Amino acid sequence: MAFNFNWSPLTADASFYTRAQELLTTALNKSPKPPIIVDDILVNELNLGSVPPDLEILEIGDLAEDRFRGIFRMCYTGDAFLTLKTRVQANPLNTYLSTKPTFTSPQPLAASSGLTIPLQITLSEIKLSAFIILVFSRQKGLTLVFRNDPLESLKVSSTFDAIPFVRDYLQKEIEGQLRTLLMDEVPVIIHRLSLRLWVPEYREREDEELARSFQDSTTAEKPVDPLASPPQDPVDISGNILDASQIASLSLDSGPEMHALFSQKNLLRLSALTDSHRTLSLFTPGIRDVVFRAWAGPTERGEMHGNSGRATPITPVMARGQSYTGDSSTTYVFSEAGDARQYPSRPGLSSFGSAASGLGLGSNKHGKPHGGRKRKHRVVNLRKKAADGDDVESVSGDSTTVSGTMSSAPSESGARPVTPERREGELITPPRTPVTTAEQKEPGDGTPLHFRNLTPRPPRRDDAFESTPRPPQCTVPLPNSQSQSGSRTAQRPSLRPSDFLQATQCPVEKRPKLEVSSSSSVPLQQLSPSPSDESSSGDMMTQPWLIKMAGEIARKVRDQKAADSGFWDRRNETQEEPPPAYGS
Amino acid sequence: MLGFMDYVQNAFYEASRWDRDNSYGTLNATSRNILDFSTPEGLRFHVSSLSSPNFATSYTLGSIGLVDGSLSYLYSSLSLSRLAAKSSAIDLHHLVPGYRQLQDLRQPDEPWWWEIWHQGKRIDRREALLYGRLFLPRSTLEALYLRRLSPKTQLKISCVSDSRLPNGGTILAHLQHDAAKHNTEYIYSTDSALFGVRGLYNFGPDPPSTPPLFEASRDSTISTANEAVALATVQTPSQPHGRFSAGGEIYYGLLNKSGGISTGLRFATLPSHTGFPYTMTLTLNPLMGNLSSTYSVLASPLLALSSRFDFNVYSYESELQIGTELWRQKEKGTTSREDLNWARLKLGQKILEGRSKDPENDMAGCLKARIDQRGGLGLLWEGRVKELLYSCGATIDLKGGENMMRSFGVEVQYSS
Repeated sequence: MAFNFNWSPLTADASFYTRAQELLTTALNKSPKPPIIVDDILVNELNLGSVPPDLEILEIGDLAEDRFRGIFRMCYTGDAFLTLKTRVQANPLNTYLSTKPTFTSPQPLAASSGLTIPLQITLSEIKLSAFIILVFSRQKGLTLVFRNDPLESLKVSSTFDAIPFVRDYLQKEIEGQLRTLLMDEVPVIIHRLSLRLWVPEYREREDEELARSFQDSTTAEKPVDPLASPPQDPVDISGNILDASQIASLSLDSGPEMHALFSQKNLLRLSALTDSHRTLSLFTPGIRDVVFRAWAGPTERGEMHGNSGRATPITPVMARGQSYTGDSSTTYVFSEAGDARQYPSRPGLSSFGSAASGLGLGSNKHGKPHGGRKRKHRVVNLRKKAADGDDVESVSGDSTTVSGTMSSAPSESGARPVTPERREGELITPPRTPVTTAEQKEPGDGTPLHFRNLTPRPPRRDDAFESTPRPPQCTVPLPNSQSQSGSRTAQRPSLRPSDFLQATQCPVEKRPKLEVSSSSSVPLQQLSPSPSDESSSGDMMTQPWLIKMAGEIARKVRDQKAADSGFWDRRNETQEEPPPAYGS
Repeated sequence: MLGFMDYVQNAFYEASRWDRDNSYGTLNATSRNILDFSTPEGLRFHVSSLSSPNFATSYTLGSIGLVDGSLSYLYSSLSLSRLAAKSSAIDLHHLVPGYRQLQDLRQPDEPWWWEIWHQGKRIDRREALLYGRLFLPRSTLEALYLRRLSPKTQLKISCVSDSRLPNGGTILAHLQHDAAKHNTEYIYSTDSALFGVRGLYNFGPDPPSTPPLFEASRDSTISTANEAVALATVQTPSQPHGRFSAGGEIYYGLLNKSGGISTGLRFATLPSHTGFPYTMTLTLNPLMGNLSSTYSVLASPLLALSSRFDFNVYSYESELQIGTELWRQKEKGTTSREDLNWARLKLGQKILEGRSKDPENDMAGCLKARIDQRGGLGLLWEGRVKELLYSCGATIDLKGGENMMRSFGVEVQYSS
């Protein structure tokens, strides 16, 4: 097992900076300001830089898929900088007297009259060294505490660098302020940001509060109790959206009817939860008043796979993750539930890279023995999905032919229902790669299956990227925040050098990749396990059973899709229409 | 409203015949009194007494959130027996600083006038004042030592002891040298080793040398001291009606290597001026580019107006403040004096006479108000109810929206 710490994705999210700036601004203005500062402090610019901090894992106290507790040692000598704007009192006598008791003040007549001038302060060359206690929980967000004073030194450059007294004063004051900021405020800020990122309830609440602040409504927020009152976004048992009139027709005392109403939100969460476990994703949505037991052993897991179609009825997708693993060094496969669905709505080419690498690189990278436990699991999964090997081979080998077949796929797949055969054809390609790539050797870069200290080696940018290619996945929030996850995923692939490589080496493949990724936006995953097995090499399963299985699953998927269509339309209008040339 | 201790301290200045107005520090005292008055916050009680002619005590109890208070003691080597110490008898003009009417300059006493010989020995002492104040919950101690070193010089040492201050406290030494025509002050503060020099020069003819007024020298009440001054300045036809003064100050902190500088001009009418009295000042801080001009006028015995305009030539920031001071007389049957006020005004008699201490002219209260261009409004009403002096004030931010009221407070003062 390994940890990937990704530093740069923070810069990828534009809203992160604005949000962080807001939080910093309020934090800076909360504590009493030194007398020389006569106006509010505005955070003008914030950049975390490209050099990540050195992290050394000292101790890991608790580790699970949805929680983590550990102690790190952090050293940071990066190129992050922060620019503040405020107005300061330029008259030293004025600030000097304002801190002294009036009784002994010389009470100058006009020598202390003020001159306020705008000031811009840039904090750079920040050197931090601290022991960090990091507690992460899916429900409670991320808590980060410094055990010691983290600030070693920093450089304060301002408008007043020419005046030594003012410069020294500013340096001293700002260091002091920053110390309190780091010790007291930064944990709070990080906690809030993490809550916003990972806990959808929090974000919803925040948004609601925001909305409520505009409209002066006196109604208090009530918890949704699906048994006592109809959910806010009701769907019936098959996932169809119910409108208000239908709800009204269901009287409260109609008994069992009531229980057939589910909240769309809750269903989404449930599906995300099951998905996350199948993909070993760190992402587990919090569901109130529910105890969820993770799979204990491989048997159970296998079972789940068998049922996967049933277990996650409306999960749109699964597992782009599998194909990702082919080219990446991550051990964790993150759920792409939210991710994959984005593809159709996002035309950016950059997203193809990830899929492309799965296809193109796959053939190059084999030849590695199976990794550890995780790997095995992944392989099993893939075999089920993998279609006839020839097809795949042709895909990877000859990109042009692939593009032909693939491009045809989406147009047809757009028409529902899709025949299982065609589905298989599309499906196979992405998952196929992993079978081979599963054996790929990951030098030491990020894969180790045991805990490993990542710390020692931050310096080169490429390395940093390579060793931390995947993390954004874990920040992919909920399936329902489309825009956010979309933007994030769009950014991610571009960070990975292998993708660049791929793109440059065989640009022709882009096209097919596009198709592939699009096809994955439908619940392919659930289909995949079926007939592919027959063709996969060294498969133990008997063909008839597989065919039967495949047929059944495909039928289920079709049903679900039919039932879901309205639901998905609401989520993504473009789904039904032309869309996604490559959407289904 | 001035505290009782400030009142006694001012009485000491008057009794020792020290001219507070002849200093660069008080160049714009008039406009400061009208524009920069402080409004009380919370509830505050003062109980004071001049228990002996030389000793005064004062206790303060206040509550702003939590209860706090202070004890203060004052000793004056100069007997203040004739000072009106009862709160029912104090002239409100001495407690409510308002328009400061400049008095005619007075030649300082000759040193030998102060000599007292007894049986071939000099037994005269230099007058001194000691004052201490302890703020209780914070245990902050203020101390003041004031001494007339010579007829022309006065030394003032003030200290604050507070554990929260760097070095546990500060001391300020202030040496003033007043030669009537010019005044120089030297200041040293232990805080960052701040040195300061101030100077003021009065243009115009030299003040007439006055014979010693032996009968008045031991007079310790302010009103009689004023009269003494009035007596001393014998009206002569050639007496100027106004005075033009110029001064400057410079400060430098040795430890923090920073300083300040300012210069100022003032023109004020003198009591012999026949129209309404007015004062104009212009101060300039060349380092910070700050220019401030004030104009104050005593429009009638009951009304003073003041305005101030600040401008900074570097930042182009400007500020305008307007304030007023309105007195209210006690409800009494109109006396013949008041009926004839207009006639005396016509005859060019001084408005100031209307302000002089006169049982018939006792004031019921004073309203001070100021407003600046940013919508900040300050109101202060000070007056007397039977034996109690009170002042209630508020600062209001007209642009503050819902929480316009910034502060509100009531102070009640009793002294005996």
